[in-house]
Amino acid sequence: MKRLFQVLRTSAWLGWQIEANWADPFIFFAYAIAKPLATTMILYLMVRIVSQGDATAETFRYLFLGNTFFLYVSEVLIGISWAVFRDREDYETLKYIYIAPLRLLGYLAGRACTRAATATLGILIALAFGRWVLGLTIGVPGTNWAAVAGATLLGLVAVLWLGMILAGTSLVVARHSMNLNEGLSGIFFLACGAVFPLDVLPSWARAISLSLPFTYWLELLRRMLTGRGYARLLSGLDDGDLWGILAISTAGLCVLALIWFGWCERTARARGLIDWKTNY
Amino acid sequence: MELTRNLKMNLAAVKARASVRVLATFRERSWMIGETLFPFLTMSAFVLVYRGLSAPREYEGFVVLGGAMTAYWNSVIWSMASQFFWEKEQGQLQLYLISPVSRMSILLGMALGGIVMTTSRAVAILLGGILVFKVSLPLDRALPAFGLFLLTLGAAYSLGMVLSSLFLLWGREVWHTATLFQEPIYLLSGFYFPVSAMGVGVAAVASILPMTLGLDGIRQVFYGASAHGLVPLRLIPPIQIALIALFLLLARVSLRTMENLGKREGRLTLRGD
Repeated sequence: MKRLFQVLRTSAWLGWQIEANWADPFIFFAYAIAKPLATTMILYLMVRIVSQGDATAETFRYLFLGNTFFLYVSEVLIGISWAVFRDREDYETLKYIYIAPLRLLGYLAGRACTRAATATLGILIALAFGRWVLGLTIGVPGTNWAAVAGATLLGLVAVLWLGMILAGTSLVVARHSMNLNEGLSGIFFLACGAVFPLDVLPSWARAISLSLPFTYWLELLRRMLTGRGYARLLSGLDDGDLWGILAISTAGLCVLALIWFGWCERTARARGLIDWKTNY
Repeated sequence: MELTRNLKMNLAAVKARASVRVLATFRERSWMIGETLFPFLTMSAFVLVYRGLSAPREYEGFVVLGGAMTAYWNSVIWSMASQFFWEKEQGQLQLYLISPVSRMSILLGMALGGIVMTTSRAVAILLGGILVFKVSLPLDRALPAFGLFLLTLGAAYSLGMVLSSLFLLWGREVWHTATLFQEPIYLLSGFYFPVSAMGVGVAAVASILPMTLGLDGIRQVFYGASAHGLVPLRLIPPIQIALIALFLLLARVSLRTMENLGKREGRLTLRGD
């Protein structure tokens, strides 16, 4: 356990250096918060222009919350696989990490911690922006903030394990990181109803949506922060059900990720892909 | 004689650099899935957002066309402008620099190969939009739209050449900046909705991006007045031609300047920067 903590701490520090040492802290901070603020403003404009004034403030609040918390998915999930490509092909260090006395899984989890920290900062700033600049109500009188933090953390753990599945896949596929990043992000954005009610999904897509932990996670967060549910599709489930489904699916993802990552790691080694270069 | 030899050599460089990408497109099967299925799903998300917001039906057509053009813009930024950065990170940039061909030939090869790679993605988005979401695209107007599309690609990839000179010298700061501006550029180019909706001032500034006017024109060809065009359609082709000439000239000067600056500062082979 102590060893795992050392690996997590060191790789998180390395991740921080890779992410942040190209600029001084102020510029890095500006970059870290600019993206969530920009996407919030884009969403705001899109809702205003596309709905031609028909969308209510309540509609925008649901979209805003989904879009803001989705930042964890786009940053952490995608960031882990990105770390594999960067280490393998650009820095050419994956092979050295692989022969070092540490588990690759622990190393990547440490790298994910850095992403989670920067994403958290972005989310907090975006929520503050929504509250004080856009005038949105974040939270209701009965909101249990400790439960919000707990649900956020549980969702983040699910994102982390799903990220490990993706990282394992990255070990055995060629570098098409931007497409993979963008595409997977798009799939989850689509399927978990981050910015639209699940009810508009075609029936085949609803089945996919209901199999994703993020769907329940975002619904739970929305309920806690607005006091009301968003997706009619999930109206039959109470908060306890959402907690239960989120916890069980996170545990399931953990088991699946351990099996899948182990298989991918063995396959990459057997096929000589640990130092593969595919930048065409 | 010398001129012919140079021309042949540069054309060979264009072909060689392009062929790497064309071959890669078909070599990696997982790449094809990434290039077709994933972008289609991203575009689907926006169509569903619009349905969730009860947007007018033609907006779904706008977002499908926008999604197809996004694919090319991403190719310009990530497979063209930033390619020299990746090559530098992998230690290949110096091989380009010591070769006797023009940097622009290498970039042109990247552009042509990138267009081939990206077309599968754009086609998947268009077909998906038409077949799955029943978006209406009047195909009898496809030819003028295609002409405008080619001019837009010319201008966009020429801009990519200018941007590649920045990546040639700088590293992660430009890369992070490109990431940061990706979504705002989608917005300003009118990928999500007609750029004229943001007001004439914003739209005029955004018009420096070739995708803005290209997309505006293509939507006008397909949807006429409901496209809420920014600039009269007849003016768009000459503007795009002027942008191509301007960006190519800028690229030539900028690449030479940045390369010399990079040599003096010793940054052309600096990895992990």
